[in-house]
Formats: sequence, structure tokens, C-alpha cells
Amino acid sequence: MMEPQASTKQPSSPLHAFLSFLVPGLGQLVAGRRSRGTTILLSVLILGALSVWTIAQRARFPDYGASLLIFLKIFGQTLLLLIFLMALRRLMARYIFRDAVAEAFSGYGLAVVYLILVVMLTSNIVTLAGTSLDIREVHGLTGVLAAAILSGLWLWQASDAGRVASLPEKSPDPSMTLAIILICLLIFALGYNITNVDLGKAISEIDDFSRLLPDILWPWEQAFEYDQQVVEATQRVQAPCPPGDVGPAPNEPHSTDPWLSATPTCGDLGEREIVGGFIPGTEMTLTGGNFPPGQVVEILWRNPIGNPFTPRGVGETEILVDQNGEFTSTLAIPDVVISESTAQGAQIHTIVARQSSEEVFTGNLSEEMILALQLMLETIMIGLMATFFGIVLAFPVAFLAARNIMAPIVSTLRRITGNIVGLAAGIWLAAFVTRQVSIMLGGLEAAPILIFVVLLVTVFGLGSLGFQLGGTLFARILRALSPGLQKAFITGLLAAMAAVPGYFIGLAFSRGIRSIVLGAEAAAADEMLYAYLGAGLFALLAAVYSLRRSGDEYISIGMIIYGTVRTLMNIVRSIEPIIWGIVAVIWVGLGPFAGTFALTIHTVAALGKLYSEAIESIDPGPLEALQSTGANRLQTVVYAVIPQILPPFISFTIYRWDINVRMSTILGLVGGGGIGFILIQWIRLYQWESVGIAVWLITITVATLDYVSSNIRERFV
Amino acid sequence: MLKVENLTMVYPDGTVALRDVSFEVNEGEFLGIIGLSGSGKSTLLRCINRLLEPTEGRILWNGEDITHLDQSDLRPVRREMGMIFQNFNLVRRSSVMVNVLAGRLGYTPPSWSLINRFSAEDRQKAVQALTRVGIPDKAQNRADELSGGQQQRVGIARALMQEPKMILADEPVASLDPVLAHSILGHLEDLNQQDGITVLCSLHFLDLVQRYSTRVIGLRAGQVVFEGGKEDIRKISDERFKQIYGEEAQRLETD
Repeated sequence: MMEPQASTKQPSSPLHAFLSFLVPGLGQLVAGRRSRGTTILLSVLILGALSVWTIAQRARFPDYGASLLIFLKIFGQTLLLLIFLMALRRLMARYIFRDAVAEAFSGYGLAVVYLILVVMLTSNIVTLAGTSLDIREVHGLTGVLAAAILSGLWLWQASDAGRVASLPEKSPDPSMTLAIILICLLIFALGYNITNVDLGKAISEIDDFSRLLPDILWPWEQAFEYDQQVVEATQRVQAPCPPGDVGPAPNEPHSTDPWLSATPTCGDLGEREIVGGFIPGTEMTLTGGNFPPGQVVEILWRNPIGNPFTPRGVGETEILVDQNGEFTSTLAIPDVVISESTAQGAQIHTIVARQSSEEVFTGNLSEEMILALQLMLETIMIGLMATFFGIVLAFPVAFLAARNIMAPIVSTLRRITGNIVGLAAGIWLAAFVTRQVSIMLGGLEAAPILIFVVLLVTVFGLGSLGFQLGGTLFARILRALSPGLQKAFITGLLAAMAAVPGYFIGLAFSRGIRSIVLGAEAAAADEMLYAYLGAGLFALLAAVYSLRRSGDEYISIGMIIYGTVRTLMNIVRSIEPIIWGIVAVIWVGLGPFAGTFALTIHTVAALGKLYSEAIESIDPGPLEALQSTGANRLQTVVYAVIPQILPPFISFTIYRWDINVRMSTILGLVGGGGIGFILIQWIRLYQWESVGIAVWLITITVATLDYVSSNIRERFV
Repeated sequence: MLKVENLTMVYPDGTVALRDVSFEVNEGEFLGIIGLSGSGKSTLLRCINRLLEPTEGRILWNGEDITHLDQSDLRPVRREMGMIFQNFNLVRRSSVMVNVLAGRLGYTPPSWSLINRFSAEDRQKAVQALTRVGIPDKAQNRADELSGGQQQRVGIARALMQEPKMILADEPVASLDPVLAHSILGHLEDLNQQDGITVLCSLHFLDLVQRYSTRVIGLRAGQVVFEGGKEDIRKISDERFKQIYGEEAQRLETD
């Protein structure tokens, strides 16, 4: 035996360390540290899988088997390296440095040295190991690094297992600092790779961006209209010129108007040889007159389908007009590509002599600027309308999603059944009445707003009437029945009511998930089966629920509604407005209404959540006080709840309006109207000055709004 | 006037707040309720106007059993019972006027409340009520701008608006300093003696109980452990009172 180590080393359990070495976290689990063990196992599994995936993605053709092999190879090698290093450290500590240096070299010091060595050595080891390709080239250094760090984590958790096993039971878990640092490093390395971070590119290709920058930063030239006097004269020529053709007649000098004439007017096209360069076509003499003297005439060539271009390398294209307003020049026929489909009959080209005056500032806004302003207004309005609809809809929803309001609402099963039946009857009646009214008025298109209002009023009025009447009447009637009959009645009605949403959920399941998995047609073939299945399942659940309760039992229906509304709101809210925008465009078509619609949906859910939290945090005292005066529920809400929630409501609403306007600027990208709609088109057309105008307008609007909204909010909070 | 029979109240979490409580209140009495905190005083008062639903027992109001009235039938009963609270329970952001007017809600048709509408008569009444408690000049102030004593006066004015036959006062002076306590209880005494309004008031200062109550019941762990008339209170020495209190306190501690 050697002399015992002088440093106060914790005792360690080799068995647990070995277990964890075989399966990460196992040692900790066996030692009774359940959450620590599970955490370690899950971390190692997830990080390992991520590393393999990253290596595979780096390769041109992902091959997960090969990637796993590569990963394991690197992992094993670095693991061995690490074990070697640790053994080395221990040996050095025991025989060479003794304690002081050994202590300094332990722990984090070792980790750092290890990482440096790994980065330096692994690449060599990997190539030496005989993989057919150089791993660094195909897979990047990230995979190597990931595997290496993971091996460190592996060893750490093994030694950790030994350590925690020797700790007294129920003692707090020791810190995991080293593991957390390793995990963070690993995640950083993987993230760097997955997001394709390329700092080099950001610098080397900055030119691409900086070329556009002036246009975007200062686009205001494009914002205004400029006048330009254009003086133009043309001469028609024929090319190619088969023998016997003479071409169009050369223009005669005109006495007052500008004129252009060419001789000859029939010739051969220039040709561009693959080897040997360019051979110009037949040379023509151009003469012109009656142009404003002392200015430059620009020569353009218009091909047979009417597209003009500046002919290069065949003569002068910018000619100074002399004192008399005349000029003479020579021009060879350029090489014009004539597509086979249009190459029939004589090919007539046009030579254009054009003189443009200086641009004159007119003070009028350009078309682009007017369009951008119009759409910016539309954008702000989309945000406003969505906020408005959002408030109106979120307000009642918020009460349904507030625990303190809903929790006291309890009712008997008997009454609830009556309420539901009454409500359904009321809504059906409302739909019937609305349909009659709509027929009377001559269809939905004739008076959509009026019919919508009628629908709203009748649904609200008849619905709540049915709700009240149904509840009271049912409670009366059912109480008179024998208990058995009562139960059968309630169960039957509840099952029938539950079948309706079940039917639609079944249908939605088939049209949604099944049609994605099986394809639309296969799913459509037996979608009714699923609808009935859903209806049956819901009816069954409702029946079972009802049978297990008596009609007199109080049910916290408030909390059931609360839970349902909350869940729905959370789902709707977690889907981004831009995705709702895509849904809305499919639903109601392109345009600003789609944007408003999408934003409204998201706003209702988001504001509903914020509002309901404001309601939940009110002081219950005034509620209690007003109840004790004999005020009913509505009066309590008006006098005790609303004054308390008004300031946060205003604050949240303005905050949301702010968000909505910002959101509506990009909803146009998916066709939801607003300035985003034209912005994305300008980007695709590379009209950077127009893009600049849009960006400026968005920036100004958002910044103003930001300032205004924070100002208003400060006043209310 | 008010008769409480075998009242038991068990909270959903299983706490027994009241255990078989029975007592009677006669018209015109100033009934003090004493007991340690947690002895069930607040629960008792809230059961009487059904802010809390008692588990068992009956509450008779002028001979009518109100224990199982539904919300709409409860309304006329509640408006006859004013209530004031330890924390005043004013709507802090509303004006004093609106807080006082809220006492009329039991008489106002609910649909009118949607548009914030009170009759001129009600407004007149509110000014009178504020004058009576001595703060007519504060009508347009926001409730949270007032001091504690003033807030409690608003609470009393709100209760007055109900034209109550009885006032339930839940520790009305526990959040105020002693000088203000006398002022507030003075107002209650005034209502009791001038207007003949019955008062049920929970208190925990013995000298206040002795000074204002005509009769006292003592609660301990949800049970009535003491009951006595005005004469009994006068006769009871401080020592005796302290004995009752002290012993209970000790027994609670050893439980």
C-alpha cells in the first residue's frame, strides 16, 4: 500500500461511478438521487442525439448511421484521452508535484487544459483513425467538439455518481457547475452550427448591402415627381435584308418637327461569334434635325417586339446637336436576338433619337409615395380596427377566464341542462328569425350590416332569454318527475347536446389530421364515420358524467367554463398573427380585411388573457361590500369590478394597439393588406428607393406610436 | 328581529368556523361580538347576510327563514342589513359620492346601473348621509385620497343609504387608532339610539365593548361561550373579561 493521500479527498464509491460510466445517471439513480440521475440521463441522451444530427446535417447527404459511427469514434477517442489525462494528473500528483500543485491542477483547471488539448488533438486523431474523408471538411469542427465535450460530461457524471453515493442520505445535492458549463458550451457549439453563423460573410459581403444603403436611407428623390421634356424622332429599318428587299423609306427632313433619317434602311444584323468577338452589321448614316441645339441626342435601338436598348460598340450613342439643331452620325446594325417564334416576314426595327431636358422638380408626390402613404394609413387602420374588435370581444371573454369571477358560479346539473337546452333553442330561434329577416330584406348581400346586427341582437336576446327560461322551467318540471325518470331525462339531453360539438370535432379531426396523413381524398371518403364517432364519444362521456351525479348536486360550472376558455385562449395566442394571416387570407380572401381578421383573432386571445389577469388581481373587498347592499351580479361588476380594472385595461389596450400596428405592417407579406403588401413587391422588384420610403414610413409611424402610447400609459398607471 | 339557530359553517377546506351557534337579537340592541381572531366573528356576520353560505342551521329575519333564499329573493333582505368592514371595502378609484350611492344599488333596477344612473332623490340622500357623518365636503374626492377614519365614515354613509334596519359591523375600528375608534363607534351609537337601527358589531377592545354595547356574546373556536346583557357587562370586572379571554387563548395555544 502507498501512503494515504494527504489532501482531504472526499470518499468516493467506485461501484456507483462505474454504473454511471456504463449508463449515464444510473449511479445517481441507484444512490437515490432520482431527479439528478434523470436529468443527467436526459441531458446526455438529448445532447448526444443533437450532436449526431448536427454532424449528419453538415454532410451533403445526411446519413445518420455513418454520423453515429463518426460521433462514437470521436467520442471514444476523446474519452480515452480524458481518462489518460486524469490518470496522468493523479500520477503526477502522487509522485511528482505532491499536493499544492495537484490541487491547483484539479477541477476546472483540468477541464480547461482538457478542452484545449481536445481541440488541438482530435482533428489529428480523427484523420489518423482512417476515416476516408477528412472529418473537419465534411462535418465541420462542431461535431468533433460536441463529441469531445460530451465525453467530458460523461466522465464528470461518472465521478459525480461516486461522489453523491458517498454523501449522507437526504443531504442536498452538490452543485453541478462544471456540468452546466459543459452543457452550455455544447449547446453553444451546436447552435453555432445549426444557425449557420458565418461572421466572415457578415464582413466580406457587406458590399452587397452597402450598395443599396443610400437608396434605403435617403429615398426621398423617389418620393416626388419630376418633369422631363422629351423630344423624340424615329426611323424604321429592316434587318436582316434578303436580296431584293429595300426596307422602309428613309424619312424626309421635316420643316418644323424633329426628324431622323437613315441610309440605307435595309441591312444585315451584327453577329457575336463565340470565338473572334463581335462583327458589326451593315453601317448606316444617321442624320437628324430640328432638335434643340447644343444638347445631346441619345440614340436607342428598338427591336421588332418593341424593346428599346442602347446599342453598344456600333457607333456613337450620344451625339451633340449643332447650332442649327442638326446632327450626322454613323451607326452599324447591332446584334439583335430575334426569337424563332417572331422571325416571320420582314423584321422591322426602329432607331430612336431622343433628347431629354433636365429633370424639373414639380412638387407633386410620386406614385410610389402616394401608394405608400395610402397603404400606411391602411396599416394603421388595420391595427386600430383589430384593436377595436379585440376589445369588444375580449371584454366578455376576460370575465369568463377570470378565476375569481367564475369560481363562485355553481349550479345544479338539473338547472345546467335546462340552461343549455334553453340556450340552444334560443340560438336556433335567433338563427331562424335572422334568416326570415334576411329573406325579407332580399338576401345577405342586400344589407349585410343590418342582418349582422339583427343576428347579434337576436342571438344575445333570445339566447339569454332561453338560458334563463330553460334553467327555471327545467328545474321546475324535472323536480316534479320521479328521480329515475329525472336522471334518464337529464342524461339523454346532456348526451344529445354533447353530441353536437363531438360531431364537429370528429369532422375536424378527419379533415385536419387524417387528411394530412392519408391525403384529402382518402380522408374525405369516410369522414362521416369519424364525425359520428366523435358525436358518439362525446355523448357517451356526457352520459357517464351525468349518470354519476344526481340532479341536485352542485357543479362548479364556472370553473369548467373558465378552464375551457383559458385553454382555447392559450392555443389561439400561441399561434402567431402572421400564421393567422395565412388562415384569414384563405378564409376571406386577399386584402386588408384578412389582416384585420387575423389580428383580431390574436388580439382577442392576448387581450383576454391580460384582461382576465387584471380582473383576477382586483381587491375582493368592494365586491363583498356591494353584494351586501343587495346589488346583483351585474351591478357588482359595473360598480366594483370595472372601476378597479379600468386603468390596467386602458394600459393593456394601448399596449396591444401598439403591437397591432407593428404587426399589421408585416401582415401584408402574406396578403393581409397594409404596407407590407407593397413592401414585399418592391423588394422583389429591387426598387430600393421605394423600399426605403416604405421602411421610413413604418419607422416613423411605429416610433410615433411608441412614444404616444407610452405617454398615455404613464398617465393611467 | 334576528334569530340565529344552530348555525354551523364548514369551509370547503374542512375548517369548522362556526359550531352550532344560536342567539337572538332584539330590535334596537347594540350587540357586541367578542372573540380572538379566528374565533368565527367575521364568518358569523357574513353568514347572516349570506355573503357566505352556512352549512347547517337557520337564520330567521323578522320571522322569515332566509337561509335558502335564491339571489333575487335575497336582494330585499340584504338591503335592510347595512354592512361595514374592517378594511372599509370602498372602491378606491371611484369618488366618495359614487361609493355612497352604491348603497342604493339594492333599490336600483339593475339595467339602470349599466349607464351609471341614480335618481336626483338618491343623490340628495347621499349628500345628507355624508353630512350626517361629517364629511359633506369630500363628496367629489376620490375614495383613496381620504384618511382611514374618513373612509370608514364613507362606509357608514354607504350603509345608511340602504335605510337599514340593522347594521353588521365587522371589526369597524380595528384598522384605526383609538381616538378615531371612538368617533366611528360614536356614529354607530348615534344611529342605534337616534334611528333605532339594530347594530351587530364585532370588537376586540374590551373597554370599547363596555362603553358601547348593550349586550355581548363571546365566540371561541366557533362556539358561543359567553352571553350577557348591558348590566352583565357593567358588572363584569376587567379581570373577569381577561380571564375569559386569557383562558381561551391559553387553551388555544395548548391545542
